[in-house]
Amino acid sequence: MSASVPSARDAILAAVREARPPAVPRDESPASSALVARGGGGSRIDTFTAATIAAGADATVCSRDDVTRVVDAALAGARSVLSFSDLAPSRDCPPDGLRDLAALEVLVCDTTLGVAENGAVWIASSSDRLRAALFLAARVVIVVREEDLVDDLHAAYARIDVRAHPFGTFVAGPSKTADIEQSLVIGAHGPKALSMVVVRG
Amino acid sequence: MTQRSFPLPVVGVGGRIDHPAAAAAFNADVARTDWHDASLWFVREKRDRAASTVPDWEALRARASAIKEHALTHLDEYLVRFEENATQNGMQVHWARDADEHNRIVHGILAAAGARKLVKSKSMLTEECGLNPYLEARGIEVVDTDLGERIVQLRGEGPSHIVMPAIHLRKEEVGATFHDKLGTPAGLADPNALAGAAREHLRQRFLAADCTLTGVNFAIAETGGFVVCTNEGNADLGMALAPIHIASMGIEKVIPRVEDLGVFLRLLARSATGQAVTAYSTHVHGPRVGQALHVVLVDNGRTRQLAREEFWRSLKCIRCGACMNTCPIYRRSGGHSYGSTVPGPIGSVLTPGLDLDRYATLPFASTLCGSCTAVCPVKIDLDTQLFRWRQRVVENGSVSLAKRVAIDGSTRVLDRPRLFRTLGKLARVGLRILPAPLARRAAGAWGRTREAPVPPSQSFRAWYRRHRGGAA
Repeated sequence: MSASVPSARDAILAAVREARPPAVPRDESPASSALVARGGGGSRIDTFTAATIAAGADATVCSRDDVTRVVDAALAGARSVLSFSDLAPSRDCPPDGLRDLAALEVLVCDTTLGVAENGAVWIASSSDRLRAALFLAARVVIVVREEDLVDDLHAAYARIDVRAHPFGTFVAGPSKTADIEQSLVIGAHGPKALSMVVVRG
Repeated sequence: MTQRSFPLPVVGVGGRIDHPAAAAAFNADVARTDWHDASLWFVREKRDRAASTVPDWEALRARASAIKEHALTHLDEYLVRFEENATQNGMQVHWARDADEHNRIVHGILAAAGARKLVKSKSMLTEECGLNPYLEARGIEVVDTDLGERIVQLRGEGPSHIVMPAIHLRKEEVGATFHDKLGTPAGLADPNALAGAAREHLRQRFLAADCTLTGVNFAIAETGGFVVCTNEGNADLGMALAPIHIASMGIEKVIPRVEDLGVFLRLLARSATGQAVTAYSTHVHGPRVGQALHVVLVDNGRTRQLAREEFWRSLKCIRCGACMNTCPIYRRSGGHSYGSTVPGPIGSVLTPGLDLDRYATLPFASTLCGSCTAVCPVKIDLDTQLFRWRQRVVENGSVSLAKRVAIDGSTRVLDRPRLFRTLGKLARVGLRILPAPLARRAAGAWGRTREAPVPPSQSFRAWYRRHRGGAA
């Protein structure tokens, strides 16, 4: 490219500089102090459980002693299970290729963060296999501990480092669509069901 | 053969969009219009319920607006920072001045890799750029994977709403399209079964894709990452599997910090569909091992809008669609009647900036009731901007002769109190003695579906003089 012709980058940045309206300063007051939602009067675990059910998941609240049994029950009858949790072993997994995971029945994983206001949990990973399985598996089981629940997204972002992995997502319920006449259909392109295991205490 | 449920859009002399004519065509089917109106109002009510669960909703809106205004007034700095950090994260950043440059960049990436099969998740920007026909003409198979977008793609239509692309279609019409194109049984119209058929059909496309293209909801300057929000998981399937990922975004999508996402994600889905949050809010901060990740930053008229003192705040838009769902004109004219990629109030503010003459009727596709402004999660003063565009349209001489005569006539009458009084008298008499159909015709378009008012026996002026005049 000749020196006299500006690159698209330089042309756009120059146009932005020329166009820039008078500077609006940033409000540096912490968002969380003014905006945190603590409505409902319910406990955090109840708010979370209700929100994740509203998002289309099924939820089981259990004690620490019961969690293995509850996860087992969630996996009962599943032919193939890919597990990223210590609570359950993998079994009859499809082979290594990412696309082969289309045949996977259940993915099990843990989360380190759940958000009470919307029932979402944070799944971040550098594993391509976990990432692909999270969307290709027919069913997903996620285990969250009460101590890892926060009130809202402001608190959530204060806890996570989005740069730690190339991929991180808030998952709220199974995949869904309402693109035909506003009728809710659970199971669009991703999982058709999400089971949330909430460990109390 | 392209099927259409109604004629779209009506284009007048010199390629101008004739919104009133297109809206009239839509309204010809009264039952459909009522149904469309009710469908969107249903979404508006869901939005109200979701907003009411957040105690500091108004503070949240104010915060979102302030962040966007700060970001837009420092946009060059945040774009440079985003580019720097994204590059460090292993992304390749491209810049496109306009739609054509964007399309050439995307095609260049595909051609260099020998990619022929592209799966797209929802991106209004690529609709704006006309990417699909551009790539298809060059032998690339483009599959829109958002269910609503796939439906309209199979029908040869464009989306009629930015969040619910097929909101204008009945399930029977979707069933007929799927019967035609996907071989579902004739007469199948159950949304569950139809969505299931689309899932199987699109799963194969996801698994076979050479490349995926997604939009971007938010790009974060301080970390060089971006966020894509979907309910269907289509963007995620594409990103998790395809060896090449292209993310196309308008330059106005950059926000300064990660913590800002807390504000925007709390507002976005609640405003859009009444959900607390979308099923997936995916943060991408680099490619997978072996994947190529490209980000294309697109101007295409945005810097021109930024330079407009009266309109730059429209760039705060986070594309939730709430202004459409609440708009009495949008609900009763349908998204296609705007002839613009983004319809509704926000479209009528953004699109005239691209070509004022072509889109001159859009700022008039509003009652100026302000409902759009009341629901906008980033507090864009939409009704004010629509009003300002009307003034620009008139200055530009882009209004119809009838409207110009009416506006000039009103000015003349309102400038002359005696003429005004005389005409008032005439109108009161006329309304009383004229046959109803004639009186209605005198009221113009307004009178077409409405009875003329019962004329008062005297003017307000006369009434005031009798009752208060003595005291003054």
